[in-house]
Amino acid sequence: MQGFIGRRLISGTRQLSNLRPSSQRCCFSQVAQREEANNGVHIPKLPPFDYSPPPYTGPSTEEILAQRKEYLSPSMFYFYNKPLNIVDGKMQYLFDENGRRYLDGFGGIATVSCGHCHPDVVEAIVNQTKKIQHSTILYLNHAIGDFAQALASKLPANLKVVFFTNSGTEANELAMLIARLYTGCHDIISLRNAYHGNASGTMGATAQASWKFNVIQSGVHHAMNPDPYRGVFGSDGEKYAKDVQDLIDFGTSGHVAGFISEAIQGVGGIVELAPGFLPAVYNSVKKAGGLFIADEVQSGFARTGSNFWGFEGHGVVPDIVTMAKGIGNGTPLGAVVTTPEVAEVLTRRNYFNTFGGNPVCTAAGLAVLKVIEKEGLQENAFVVGSYLKERLNALKDKYELIGDVRGKGLMLGVELVTDRQLKTPAKAETIHVMDKMKDLGVLIGKGGSYGNVFRITPPLCFTKEDADFLVDAMDYTMSKV
Amino acid sequence: MAFQLFRVVVRDLAKPKIGCARVSSSFSTLQPNASDEADVPSLPPFNYEPRPYNGPRADEIFEKRKKFLGPSLFHFYQKPINIVEGKMQYLFDEDGRRYLDAFAGIVTVSCGHCHPVVLKAITEQSQLLQHATTIYLHHAIADFAEALASKMPGNLKVVYVVNSGTEANELAMLMARLYSGSLGMIALRNAYHGGSSNTIGLTALNTWKYPIPQGEIHHVVNPDPYRGIFGADAKCYAKDVQDHIDYGTSGKIAGYISETIQGVGGTIELAPGYLKMVYDIVRKAGGVCIADEVQTGFGRTGSHYWGFETQGVIPDIVTMAKGIGNGLPLGAVVTTPEIASVLAQKILFNTYGGNPVCSAGGLAVLKVIDEEKRQSHSADVGSHLLARLRDLQQQHDIIGDIRGRGLMVGVELVTDRTEKTPAKAETAVLFEKLRELGILVGKGGLHGNVFRIKPPMCFNKDDADFLVDALDYSMSKL
Repeated sequence: MQGFIGRRLISGTRQLSNLRPSSQRCCFSQVAQREEANNGVHIPKLPPFDYSPPPYTGPSTEEILAQRKEYLSPSMFYFYNKPLNIVDGKMQYLFDENGRRYLDGFGGIATVSCGHCHPDVVEAIVNQTKKIQHSTILYLNHAIGDFAQALASKLPANLKVVFFTNSGTEANELAMLIARLYTGCHDIISLRNAYHGNASGTMGATAQASWKFNVIQSGVHHAMNPDPYRGVFGSDGEKYAKDVQDLIDFGTSGHVAGFISEAIQGVGGIVELAPGFLPAVYNSVKKAGGLFIADEVQSGFARTGSNFWGFEGHGVVPDIVTMAKGIGNGTPLGAVVTTPEVAEVLTRRNYFNTFGGNPVCTAAGLAVLKVIEKEGLQENAFVVGSYLKERLNALKDKYELIGDVRGKGLMLGVELVTDRQLKTPAKAETIHVMDKMKDLGVLIGKGGSYGNVFRITPPLCFTKEDADFLVDAMDYTMSKV
Repeated sequence: MAFQLFRVVVRDLAKPKIGCARVSSSFSTLQPNASDEADVPSLPPFNYEPRPYNGPRADEIFEKRKKFLGPSLFHFYQKPINIVEGKMQYLFDEDGRRYLDAFAGIVTVSCGHCHPVVLKAITEQSQLLQHATTIYLHHAIADFAEALASKMPGNLKVVYVVNSGTEANELAMLMARLYSGSLGMIALRNAYHGGSSNTIGLTALNTWKYPIPQGEIHHVVNPDPYRGIFGADAKCYAKDVQDHIDYGTSGKIAGYISETIQGVGGTIELAPGYLKMVYDIVRKAGGVCIADEVQTGFGRTGSHYWGFETQGVIPDIVTMAKGIGNGLPLGAVVTTPEIASVLAQKILFNTYGGNPVCSAGGLAVLKVIDEEKRQSHSADVGSHLLARLRDLQQQHDIIGDIRGRGLMVGVELVTDRTEKTPAKAETAVLFEKLRELGILVGKGGLHGNVFRIKPPMCFNKDDADFLVDALDYSMSKL
C-alpha cells in the first residue's frame, strides 16, 4: 500500500506543473484495498489532491430522492443505479455526501470549463455579488461591456456584436429568430442527431426523437448526419453536403433562413462532422441566401484544444455563433455573437432579456476567459486530450467492445458495440461500465441516440494523471465484463 | 437645507423604519441645487457609504456598448446612468451618488440589492459547488422546490426550475399543448410573456413582436378598467374570450395565460371578477389556466402572496421569475402532478436549471420574504403610497389614473382626462426630472406614458413620501 502511494507521488512530482494544487497530501479516498484482478489489471487509484471538503450535514440521498419525486419534474432523470449525491466540487474533482472524491470526467455536461469553484471565478462572482447582482441593461455597468469586448476579441472577422442570454436554449432561439428576420425566410436546416435546446424553435432544430415532444415545430429540415462512424457515406463530407443542397432545392423555396450545427455533436454522442462537410454546406447555404449558425455551446471555449472554437477546425467563418455551458464555468449564462449588419435586424422591434448580461454572470464570464488564457487551458486541452485519445485508442485495440474512439481535445467519445461489423449498440454494457467506473471513482457522461457512447468532457484543468486514471478504470472495468 | 435635514431626521425618529439605520445622513442626501430651491425633496437618510469607484466612466461604457452589444440594446435616460453598486432599496452611480430604486431592475430585486441573507447563501454555495446538473443529486434544488411548493394552494406542487421568465412561459405553453392535445392559446392584448419564438406569440404589444410565425394564438380584448372598451365590466370582456373560442378555434383550446397585473403593459389590473369567469370558460373548452406571476408573485401585491390569489382563483400552471431570486437568473414553473406527467413522455432537460447556487439563492429569498414579513410590509407601504398618489391626482390634472396593489403601482399620465390622450412627452420629461432628484422609476404601457413603481420590497414609507414629494415637485414645474 505504502509503496503504491509512494509511486503515485513520484509520478505526481514529475508532473507537478500540470497538477493543481500541490499533491503532497493524499486525501482519504486513496486509502483503499488493493485487489489483484484476473488478468493482472490492478484497481486504479485517483491521483492525489490536496483538498478535503467540509463535512456534509445536509439531507441524505434517500431524503433528496423522495423530495425530487414529490416536488420535481417526473421526467427528471439521474445517472447510475444508485444516484450520487454530489455536494462539493473543486477543480476537476467532485465529492459526495461521504466526502468520497470522484474524478469529474463529464464537467457537468461540458460546462465546468475552468474547474469547480475555480478561485478566480469564485472571487469574481463573490466580489460582484457584493456590489450589485442585478439592475438590467437599462442602466450602464462596466461588466457587460468589458466581457462583450473580451469575447468579441476571441472571434474572427466581423463577429463582434454580443447578445447575452441565460442559457444555450435562449441563445439558439435568438440565433434562429435573427436568421429568420434577416433573411425574411422561415426554413432552417439542422442535422439529424443534433441537440440545440428545448424551447419551441430550438426543439425543432433538435433532431433526436427522445427530445422532441409532440408539438408544432415548424420550418426545420433535418439533413443527413455527416457521421463518419455510422453515416451512410462514411467520411465523405461532400456527399453528405449534397443532401443539404437537395433539401434546399426540393424542400424550400430555394431560399433559406439558415443552417445550424454543432462543430462536434454533444448530446448526439461526440460525433465529429465528416471532413469537407461544413465548407461545402457553407457554400450551399450562402447561395440560398441563408446564414450559417455555429452552435459552440459544447465545443467552444478552448475545449477542442487545437482551436478556441470548434468551427475553426473546419475552416469556415459563421455568421452567428451561439455559446453557453463553458462560457461561465457553470453560472447561468449564454451568448449570441454576430456581425453588426446582422444584429441590426433586432432594432426593428424591442428585444430584451431581463437577467441577460447581469453584472455577476458577465464578471464570471470575463474571469473564465482570463483563466483560460492565464492557465493555458487550450494548450492543456490539446496536450492532455491527445494523450487521453491515444490511450483510449490503445484500449480499443484491447477490447472488441469499443467500436469507435473520436473527438478532439477534451471533447471525446467512446462508442461501445457488441459487434464491430454491424456496430450493434452495446447499451447494457455502456450502463454497466459507466456504473462500475463510478464505483472506482470516475464520473463520465453518456450520449448518442442509442445511449451507447461515453462522453468525456471534463473541466479543462484535467491532467495526464487524471487521463491515466480514467483509462485505467475503464480498462479494469472492461476486463471484468 | 439644515431645516430639511432636521425635518427628515425628526420624522425618522418618530417612525421606525425597517432596514435602515438612523444615523447622520451621508453626503448623498445633499441636493445639488438646494441653495435656490428650498422645497426640493430629499432622499431619506441611509447609513451606508458605497465603495469608491475607479472603473470605467459612463461615456466609455456607453461607447463600448454601442460597439459590442448591438444597436438594439436600449437604455433609460438621455444621459444613461452608470450604476456600480446597490444596497437594499438604493443604487449608487459612479460618483457615489445615491438613488432611490423604485423599479428594482424591473420588479426583480425583491429583497433588496445585496441583501445580506441572500448574499450569504450565494457566496457560501459558490464556494462549495456552482454546477453539476440534476443528473446527480443535490439538496439545494429539492429544498427550494419543496419550499416553493409549500407557498402554493391546491395541488400545485411539481416544480420545474429554469433560468428566466421566457423559459418558464415556453415550458408552460408546452405543457398546456401536450396536456390538452389542442393548439390554441389565449392571451390578453397588452400582455408581455417573453422574447423567444413561442412567447413572442403570447406577447401582445406590437413594439415587442417581430414578424415571425407565432402559431395559434388568440389575443382577446384587454380587461383594462381604465382604457378598456367595457370599462370595469368583467362579464363583457369574458364574453370576448368565449367568442374567440367559439368562432376562432375548434371549440377546444390548449390554454389561457395572463399576468394578474400587466407589467410591461403599464401596471394594468384585470377588471374585477374577470379571471374567475375566464378560468371557467377556458376549462370548459378543455384548456389549462396559466398564471404568469413573473412580476406579481412573492408577496409584492401585499394582500396575497401570489397575484392570482387576489382574484379568487387557483390556476393549473404558475410561472415565475424576476423576484424569485432577487436578481439571480432563475425561473420556475409549478403545476399539478397530473399536468406534469405529460412531460414524462420524452426527455426535457435544462442544463443550468436548478443549479445549487441559484437554488440556494431562491431558498434564501423565500426565507427573507417570510421572516422580514415583506408581504405585509408591501401591503402597508403600498397602501400609503397609493393613498398619497391619489391625493396627488387631485392636485395635478396630468395624472389620469393611479392603480395597482401593494408595491406594484402604476401612474398613467394624460394630457386630457376625458380623452385620456397619452402624455408621452411629459412622461419622458418627468422621468428625467425624477432621476435628477434621485429617483429611478420605470416606464411602461404601449404609449410609454405610465410610470411603473415597483421597488425592492424593503421600500418604506419615507421612501414613498420622498417619491411622491418628488413627483409633486416635478409636476409643479412642468
